[in-house]
Amino acid sequence: MTTGGLIFMALSWAVIIGLNAFCFYRLGNDSDG
Amino acid sequence: MSTRQRWATKTGLILALAGNAIGLGNFLRFPVQAAQNGGGAFMIPYFFALLVIGIPMMWIECSIGRLGGKHGHGHAAGMIALLWDHPAAKYIGALGLFIPFTIVLYYSYITSWCLAFSVFSLLGSYEGLITRSDMGAFLKGFQGVATNEHFRSLAAAYTAYLATLGLTVAVLIGGVAKGIERLAKTAIPLLFALGAVLVVRVLTLGTPDPTIPEQNVSNGLGFVWNPDFTSLGDASVWIAAAGQIFFTLSIGWGIIHTYVSYLHEDDDIALTGMATVGLNELAEVVLGGTIALTAAVAFFGIPGTEDIARGGGFDLGFQAMPVIFQQVPAGNLLGALWFALLFFGGITSAVAMAQPMIALLEESWGFSRRRAVGMLAAIMFVLTQPVIFGQRFGVLDELDYWVGAVALVIFALCEIVIFGWVFGLDRGWREIERGAAIQPPRFFRIVIKFVTPTFLAVILGWWAVTEFPAKLAMEGVVTEARPYIIGARVMILALLLGVFALVRAASSGWTALGREDSP
Repeated sequence: MTTGGLIFMALSWAVIIGLNAFCFYRLGNDSDG
Repeated sequence: MSTRQRWATKTGLILALAGNAIGLGNFLRFPVQAAQNGGGAFMIPYFFALLVIGIPMMWIECSIGRLGGKHGHGHAAGMIALLWDHPAAKYIGALGLFIPFTIVLYYSYITSWCLAFSVFSLLGSYEGLITRSDMGAFLKGFQGVATNEHFRSLAAAYTAYLATLGLTVAVLIGGVAKGIERLAKTAIPLLFALGAVLVVRVLTLGTPDPTIPEQNVSNGLGFVWNPDFTSLGDASVWIAAAGQIFFTLSIGWGIIHTYVSYLHEDDDIALTGMATVGLNELAEVVLGGTIALTAAVAFFGIPGTEDIARGGGFDLGFQAMPVIFQQVPAGNLLGALWFALLFFGGITSAVAMAQPMIALLEESWGFSRRRAVGMLAAIMFVLTQPVIFGQRFGVLDELDYWVGAVALVIFALCEIVIFGWVFGLDRGWREIERGAAIQPPRFFRIVIKFVTPTFLAVILGWWAVTEFPAKLAMEGVVTEARPYIIGARVMILALLLGVFALVRAASSGWTALGREDSP
């Protein structure tokens, strides 16, 4: 795996895990019926 | 309207929407698309398509669905007729019934293969078949595409199909909260747990054969992720990325509309839509991008994996992966987990595809839920027979091409034009913002109005020029298969006209929103 590949994989994972963390943090602050 | 079903929890809706979106494409289609279209560089057009098509279309379909539910419509036909006061509106919306219903005819059959192969793996039914061609023969025998020593008839495939259809019916009869939501709350966490186990196992494969050191996990990840920036100048790569976003998020299918219609009118959709996108991407990029092709390179090398990728997702999932799992400890169990993962992804999507038509039968025809599900299941069973018995002649692929690839882009383009230009962007945006738990960035207004419709029109135009003439003329189709391909096309047309007729008969009381009803 090249450095470029590693960077693309790490960035993609970070974006997606960050998006999920943000969404579920906000959902946690929202009441759930 | 007060008797409309509702989701029990917001989490339940998000998991159900994620269950709809996460399917076989996340684990089989995405890694092949990435590897064939520039590796890591594919993620640039992929994330671009997610931003300009995926997220805005998710919000639009959620807002149309919630608005439709408020006015008693649980399907896209009634919803589009609500947005646009024109006789054609209900027929455009009818595509949101036709598309999922047609796709479920073959999708539930493919899902049943995953169930069967999970059992085969546990029982060791294909033990000893350690080459891809051996597994290919096993798969073809199972599908009835070829007659060989592995299967004497379609009995195993048929049994698995009936079990899958039966489970789908049982879930649908349970209704929204007690059927679909319960399934999603069980299947989606299980899917992620199975995916995590498989990711850890694949990443710890190391170099399976020390005599071939280049066949290792690092090179496997590199096969998917090493960027080839020259691919970004190729328009087909951008089209492939947009196609993957459509397929993976189930945009332009009419299902999101139906699921969100079971929300209350002031419930949030902005955060719900984003959370759905996030979960789907987690399954696709993190799990799907790691498991199959990485393992394939570690065992077959780059040339072998390129050959697998050229063969498509089924070669990867049903031929290469079973061979790989037979070469690692506890391989039967890992193989069973792999196919269980695919089955959970498939069954939650199959249930979602059937729901819009059930909503039409219940709401517009006054059917009880049990009767609507029973009738639909019977029709599904009958119409799946040409798929099962005509598979060797390409019937399944033909349905998938015209409905699973082309029709949904047409429907998405129509609905975004109606939403942004006919219903009006200001009204539409207020609908997206109503009850929102997060503030959608305002630049999406420009995206919805101009960028997404243009991108979709370019995709359709590109397809019309580069693929349509050859496909229509059946270029490359052997003479023996041509009657079956024509039959598949007649079937598609008959289904479309049948849905149009149902919608027409049901639409007598439907009215469009007036300006005074502006949200």
